[in-house]
Amino acid sequence: MLERLREPWSDRRAERMLGALASVVLLLIVLMIVFVAARAWPSFQHNGLSWFTGKGDVDVQIGNQVNTGAKPTSADYQIGVWPLIWGTVLTTGFAVLIGLAFAIFAAIFIVEFAPGGLRRVVVPVVRLLAAVPSVIYGLIGILVLVPFVNDHLVSEARKKSVQYVINLSGTGLIVSVVILTVMITPIMIAIITDALYAVPRGWKEGAVALGVNRWRAMWTVSVRAARPAIIAAVVLACARALGEAIMLSMVSGSKGFAPNPADGLTFIFEPLRPLASTIVEDAESLNAPAVQASVYSFALLLLFSSLVLSIGAWLAKQPMKKYGIRV
Amino acid sequence: MAVAPQTEPLRPIRPPRKRRVNESLSTWRWGDRIAFVLCWASGIALCAIAGGIVLYMAFKGLQYLSFELLTARPQPSADQKASGGFLDPIIGTVVLTVIGIVIATPIAVATAFWIVEYGRPSWLARAVESGIEVVAGTPDIVIAIFGLALFQQGIFSLLSFTAQGGAVFGRSFLTAGAMMSLIALPMVFGATREGLQSVSAHVREASYALGKTKIATIRRVLLPSVKPNISTGAALGMGRIAGDTAVVVVLLGATLRIDPESSFPGVGLLRGTGGTLTSYVYNNSSAGEGNAKEKAYAAAFVLLLIVIGLNFAVDAIAKRGAQTGLESTRLGT
Amino acid sequence: MSRRLRLLGVSAIVAGVAGAAIPATASAVPVITMSGSTSVAPLASLLAKAYLKQYPGRVKFKLAQGGSDVGVADVAAGRVTVGNSSRDPKDSDPGGLVFNKIAKDAICIVTNPGNPLANLSQDTIQAIFSGQLRNWEDVPGAGTTGSINLVVRTAASGTQDAFQKIFMGSKTVFSGASAKASNGLVQQTVASDKNAVGYVSQDFVKGTNAVSYQGVGCTLAGAKSGEYGGVRNFWMVTRGHPRVASALQKFIHWAQTSSKAQKVVATHWVPLR
Repeated sequence: MLERLREPWSDRRAERMLGALASVVLLLIVLMIVFVAARAWPSFQHNGLSWFTGKGDVDVQIGNQVNTGAKPTSADYQIGVWPLIWGTVLTTGFAVLIGLAFAIFAAIFIVEFAPGGLRRVVVPVVRLLAAVPSVIYGLIGILVLVPFVNDHLVSEARKKSVQYVINLSGTGLIVSVVILTVMITPIMIAIITDALYAVPRGWKEGAVALGVNRWRAMWTVSVRAARPAIIAAVVLACARALGEAIMLSMVSGSKGFAPNPADGLTFIFEPLRPLASTIVEDAESLNAPAVQASVYSFALLLLFSSLVLSIGAWLAKQPMKKYGIRV
Repeated sequence: MAVAPQTEPLRPIRPPRKRRVNESLSTWRWGDRIAFVLCWASGIALCAIAGGIVLYMAFKGLQYLSFELLTARPQPSADQKASGGFLDPIIGTVVLTVIGIVIATPIAVATAFWIVEYGRPSWLARAVESGIEVVAGTPDIVIAIFGLALFQQGIFSLLSFTAQGGAVFGRSFLTAGAMMSLIALPMVFGATREGLQSVSAHVREASYALGKTKIATIRRVLLPSVKPNISTGAALGMGRIAGDTAVVVVLLGATLRIDPESSFPGVGLLRGTGGTLTSYVYNNSSAGEGNAKEKAYAAAFVLLLIVIGLNFAVDAIAKRGAQTGLESTRLGT
Repeated sequence: MSRRLRLLGVSAIVAGVAGAAIPATASAVPVITMSGSTSVAPLASLLAKAYLKQYPGRVKFKLAQGGSDVGVADVAAGRVTVGNSSRDPKDSDPGGLVFNKIAKDAICIVTNPGNPLANLSQDTIQAIFSGQLRNWEDVPGAGTTGSINLVVRTAASGTQDAFQKIFMGSKTVFSGASAKASNGLVQQTVASDKNAVGYVSQDFVKGTNAVSYQGVGCTLAGAKSGEYGGVRNFWMVTRGHPRVASALQKFIHWAQTSSKAQKVVATHWVPLR
């Protein structure tokens, strides 16, 4: 039988084998989604659509669920997840937007403007930043950034202005966004750099030959040609930001509080807690069925958001097909 | 009669010396100048941030780091001075990263090739791509809980050990490595897919014109040319694995020492529980209950060094492979 | 690949699978597996080490973590022999479990060293933590001014549970307080912010000012003598009562009664006697 395997494979057999491998991967992923959905169902069943709204302090609701018995009633499942959803949207949205701008400029720097020696330094630096564990980012956050924000950026008057509603103490939106941006930008830089390198040299040389300066040639030709890769990078970085739990649970303030943009500048100092951090913090009490349903429902929402992101990216890439760029 | 001119001995022809084009910024528009400054600022900021992180961890970690810490095994002790070193977590990190990436890379590369080169039926290809992106967005704690529930089923008892009550423990290097490969899969897949899509069509067409089958083209032409992309993806994936805490705590047991399952070499270790540097740092730092902060910083610094070393190793392997490949098919480099 | 290499590869795989399938040679030494709370884990590993030192070769220990609930679930399913728990038994726990108390842990109210508050009564503590008092000027004996920075633990924590029951009684903690996920984070926050106040396990008071509760200082001696009111329990959970004269029963009995065990516990926690 081994002899048959060693013959050159026909295309059909190769296609079937590779397809089977890909299907097995898909099967495992579907199994995971079904597992999460099955355990999350009670929470949606008892809450209905009001699951997405804010029904008061979500921390108090989770706290009550931790103390319920083995047979919770329908009232025990009640939870309004809006503050957590809003927290996730804020951190992920800001981090990806700022990170994308940062990444495009840095990628253009690496490909075009960096002198050879500096380029040999920056590329490993990007890989290093992508590989720093989230615990270390969290530690640097709470040891350096949070005390800095607490002592120097948040004034006493600001703390007093909201003191009967929430405690301002350095942990909050701004530190979370800063560190999350630093975490996800290297992923985007790595993918966008590879894509910029792959743009045919002749295209850019043509632009330069017409008298366009180097920056404008890069921007109008290479970056435009690399748009599918930029979208792929954004999706991957968004997914990473959605799934980041431990670092955010250390620096985001760990409060199920929805920061209020109407507060003006205080808004960026208010604590919050994204969905993934909530899952990590409540993973210790998964025995209580009510908590289990709530935690898995958060996970299901995150999985669903990644699915929506993926489909959205595919839709965004479709119009780019007509320029012969393979998407 | 014409006399043959006295020719001088042939001198070697050297290519014209590269001269820096003096393109001064004064010819640029204002917007372009600002963009130029922003590009340089991003590059310098990257280096500054990375340097800051490494220096800060070095400052906090080197104060307490000593050679004994790297070679001594951890001891349970309430006092930091007597609690030994972190040899076991270091071995755990390396073993787990290797297992995870060894499982993830072939699967991710094969899937990427199937999607880009074949991709029939198209709904299946679309589903696989979306599925992998969903995994990329899953928090690692969810993957860990799923893995624990999965590997506590009876069929998987070979992968870990079976308790006296008959229930499968479910935690071991093999199970944790399997779930870690799921975490690294999207990175390797994404990078490989991007690399494949950037190989121009006429390279494939030339190979088909010479009579090669698709699978032979993949093996002999495309695979060598995307090796740099695979190495980028593998480096990103390894970084993600080495830095992951939740899967280690839930699926590896996060024991202080490596506890092999049986005395059979290799297999006993893989079926046993252990800890990695991330779980060690997490436990001993402020975020955990171990109350041994200086050891945590020293271990964090060692973890950073290991990750840098792994990156260099992957780069070296990729460079060695690329020299024998068709690098020139990638225009633009 | 040459034939020899292929043969080598196949025999290696077969040997590996065989090595995994054949159960470990039945050693006469029973194995005690533990999993559960991260707070109890340091104590459990120290007890295991001391037990092995006194009775070498009698048992083998395997200590994993994962959280109190994971430990309880594991022990109920039979995956481990002992589950470590830092929270009291709850109604939602599976049936048939026996909670064996092995140590106690004192909870201290702490403030920043720059705010050397000496003593707090239960009323003041309740007023501060429920959000009635929000400024340090209103607290008698405070060494600082400004808005009070409350630091508490997250909802799922056993320390939070104990704090609520012992100190707060029926009053709820202020909903706007900063929540931290571990003792170390509370300690670090309180140590770096002059206006902070929070509660930690007695083991984590380094770098902060431990406040006396109702006149009794938060020390190991005070907790052991019973005068200090804020103590919580550490448990080792087993499935049913351990069989008499089994290795497990001997270990738990040793942990609860022997003087060596009490000495180990007394290094950082409060022994039972």
